Amino acid sequence: MKRARKMLLLRIGLASVAVLAAFFAIYVAYLDRVVTQQFEGRRWTLPAQVFAQPIDLYVGQSISAAVFEQELKRLGYQQAGQADRPGSYRRRGDRFDFMSRRVQFWDETRDPQSIAVTLHSGSITAIEDRSGAEVPIFRLDPLLIGSIFPIHGEDRVVLTPEEVPPLLPAALKIVEDRKFDSHFGIDPIAILRATFANLRAGRIVQGGSTLTQQLVKSYFLDSRQTLGRKVEEALMAIILDARFEKTDLMTAYINEIHLGQDGQRAIHGFGLASQYYFGKPLAELQLHEVALLVAVARGPSYYNPRRSAQRALERRNLVLQLLAEYKVIASKEADAAIKRPLGLAGDGRIAAGYYPAFLDFVRRTLRRDYREEDLTEGGLKIFTTLDPLVQASAEAALIAELERLDKARKKQREASLEGVVVITAPQSGEVSAMVGGRRVGYDGFNRALDAKRSIGSLVKPFIYLAAIETGRYHAASIIEDGPIEVKLANGQKWRPQNITQEMFGPVPLVRALSQSMNLATVRLGMEVGLPLVTQEFTKLGLEREPPKLPALLLGALDVSPLDVAQMYNGLANGGFRTPLRAVRAVVDAQGKPLQAFPLEIAQVADPAAVYQVNRMLVEVMNRGTGRSARARIPPGLVVAGKTGTSSDYRDSWFAGFSGSHLAVVWVGYDDNSPTGLTGSSGALAVWSQLMGSLNTSPLDLFLPESLEEGTIEYQSGLRANAGCASDVLDVAVPRGATIEQKAGCESSALGSLGQRISGFVEGMIRP
Amino acid sequence: MRRSARRPAHLTFIILGMAALAGCALPAPYSPPRPAPTPVPAPGPIERAPPIEPRLPAPAVQPAPEVPPPPVRAKALNPAARALVAQAQSQAAAGNYAVSAANLERALRIEPDSSQLWIEMGKVRQAEGNFAQAENMARKALSLATGDPRSQSSAWRLIADSYRSRKRVQEARDADVRAEALTPN
Repeated sequence: MKRARKMLLLRIGLASVAVLAAFFAIYVAYLDRVVTQQFEGRRWTLPAQVFAQPIDLYVGQSISAAVFEQELKRLGYQQAGQADRPGSYRRRGDRFDFMSRRVQFWDETRDPQSIAVTLHSGSITAIEDRSGAEVPIFRLDPLLIGSIFPIHGEDRVVLTPEEVPPLLPAALKIVEDRKFDSHFGIDPIAILRATFANLRAGRIVQGGSTLTQQLVKSYFLDSRQTLGRKVEEALMAIILDARFEKTDLMTAYINEIHLGQDGQRAIHGFGLASQYYFGKPLAELQLHEVALLVAVARGPSYYNPRRSAQRALERRNLVLQLLAEYKVIASKEADAAIKRPLGLAGDGRIAAGYYPAFLDFVRRTLRRDYREEDLTEGGLKIFTTLDPLVQASAEAALIAELERLDKARKKQREASLEGVVVITAPQSGEVSAMVGGRRVGYDGFNRALDAKRSIGSLVKPFIYLAAIETGRYHAASIIEDGPIEVKLANGQKWRPQNITQEMFGPVPLVRALSQSMNLATVRLGMEVGLPLVTQEFTKLGLEREPPKLPALLLGALDVSPLDVAQMYNGLANGGFRTPLRAVRAVVDAQGKPLQAFPLEIAQVADPAAVYQVNRMLVEVMNRGTGRSARARIPPGLVVAGKTGTSSDYRDSWFAGFSGSHLAVVWVGYDDNSPTGLTGSSGALAVWSQLMGSLNTSPLDLFLPESLEEGTIEYQSGLRANAGCASDVLDVAVPRGATIEQKAGCESSALGSLGQRISGFVEGMIRP
Repeated sequence: MRRSARRPAHLTFIILGMAALAGCALPAPYSPPRPAPTPVPAPGPIERAPPIEPRLPAPAVQPAPEVPPPPVRAKALNPAARALVAQAQSQAAAGNYAVSAANLERALRIEPDSSQLWIEMGKVRQAEGNFAQAENMARKALSLATGDPRSQSSAWRLIADSYRSRKRVQEARDADVRAEALTPN
């Protein structure tokens, strides 16, 4: 009896143990699946890397030695006694010797090369290779400007073991996990030691986590410190350790660990951290820089080197001392490194510039052809059109001018003004810069693409273009700026006004547009007919044709700054439309080109008509609503542009171009309340500040053979010359166009000659 | 700065001004002679509206007056652009059109106003079978080739080729005639 009971208890006991063991085995198998999947999955998850357009160096290119050196530094090139390693340079006065890195462009992969560049008074005078042979053109490395990371914000640059300098894993082991090579995923002695220390202190002062445990913790983004959680973590660490090689675990750690926060964007892995903190690849970091990253790994927000520099410096020096103590480095090296400053790149803006508005545009462009996972995991390389120098100028101009405008208006408003800048290269349609708001690094509402706002007088050039394209008007045609009444579809009558309430009477088209006269423009638009006007917008690239309503003639058209850039790009490109592009090419993880976005153009407007409109837009800057810009842009820089102000001063616009840059600026409030600013007082200030700071070329218009030059009086539009009128202007009109003579100007061929010579002389001395 | 602002018309003024000083009547403006249309069989149905092109002056009725040659705007390419064109040409010859076009785009970034580069670009498009873009590039070149009959002629030649490839025989023939008339002899 007693025996039987014993047997039963034993059996129950055994059965329970077996059941428990079975449950445990199932649990472990489950953990195994979860953690292995995560590890294997993460291993090959590479966000697409996005590059700026590379700078082409060639003889004659205008760039100063200071800017050139800044470019090298931005690309992470290190000054050295000898430029004998990839990524190093030496400067002697105006001569730079550098060795380029191995670079993959979409159309070629180039091995490191030694190059010497000589500059003289602001431009390149010679480029030679190692043998002294002339190099006609040389592309610098493209700047890595970011990556397309998943929605939950983890950004990383994934490295292969070969790209990791051996110092880094050695340092990580010394500082974080000295038994990494021998333990089985967890380090019980370290855990005991930490537990004891924590008990004694009554709080957590020491961690006993191995690198493997930290890796697991990072995979599951769970910082709960419960016992169950810890046990699970430990089990997973043991599983990972059993399943994978130590070197694979180390590489995974180096690519995985959280090392900083940049707004919405979490900086993961040492590859990206190196770019983020130092602006150069990990392989090029020096001892003190590697030590700083190792220090930051312990607690990226506590040891944030940008916010808590002193704390980070102390921790870095502790890391260096430990490395010397454990003979990873010589103590002399450690002492030297301890004396170095943190050495962070710029203030985080220059080297680690982050361009959310532009990247958003890139992402939207690519979403048409790629799945989200391809972009966030497929390791694509994306070569874009962003010009970091132009982008920096755009950001600086917008921030400075909005601050000035906010202050000057002394308006007690909680909200501050917002603004957008979009810049393109007119002939290619490449978008070289995009600023989506005054908090330039903030990844939020992208006004450049999504703010559809009323564009006011920015519509006017398209009305004049439609008029001239009919063949019934030219730049000197007379139109009356006087009372006008338009009968609307609902039977009501619309009586538009000029912004100043004045009326100017009969004026030439060129003056009506320069001074942005409303009455003359409405009259012209109605004479031409709304269908021809609305067509003009779609011809130049607006996706949807605006409604054929008279109010359109004064700018009742809500479109985004990017739409405006598309339309004005057509003017700047002489009547040729080219789709605005942010991406040049995409290559896959192996370097194979997947897709190119080649230049495409189409002639959409009569070049002779566009030429006349562009000449009028030059007059806007010389005499009209844009003339205040002249004070801020270099005297010889010919530019064309147009102001725009929406009703009640809600939107302040300026769109204008030089020979090599088109820039569109919008200024306003997000809630669409009135700003009190016109296009001239708001957006134009940003635009002219920007154009003045760019390295841009003057607008050089090619007179079509069907046109000829004539001289008119600006006020009246009558044919005149400098001898008989005070304010004369050269305009281009179709050959043989009749322009009425101003009374008292009926001169002989000699008079006409005098006028032409004076026109010529004026042209020579005209700024 | 790469280039100074300059209007071609001023050159015309000098020439016209000097002519007037010499006591001559102002000569009629230069216009490229336009051949009389040749009668041809009726063309097929028009597939689309004809492209917009600069209005040419009416054909001259009287023999072309003697005029000073028009100011020539043809510019030599800078060495960097020339090197890229040479590369692009050999890449196109090897059938590597995408890389060839990429090099020409690089050259255009350096000299966006060069009609010669736009013509080269159009030739690559023509070679790879993108005839519409070939024509468009040629038209862009034309808009930049004022006063440069050599480039104008090459551009019309390219337009003719692109029409021919699309079986638009009559338009091709017209374009050829224009190219011929502009060929410097």
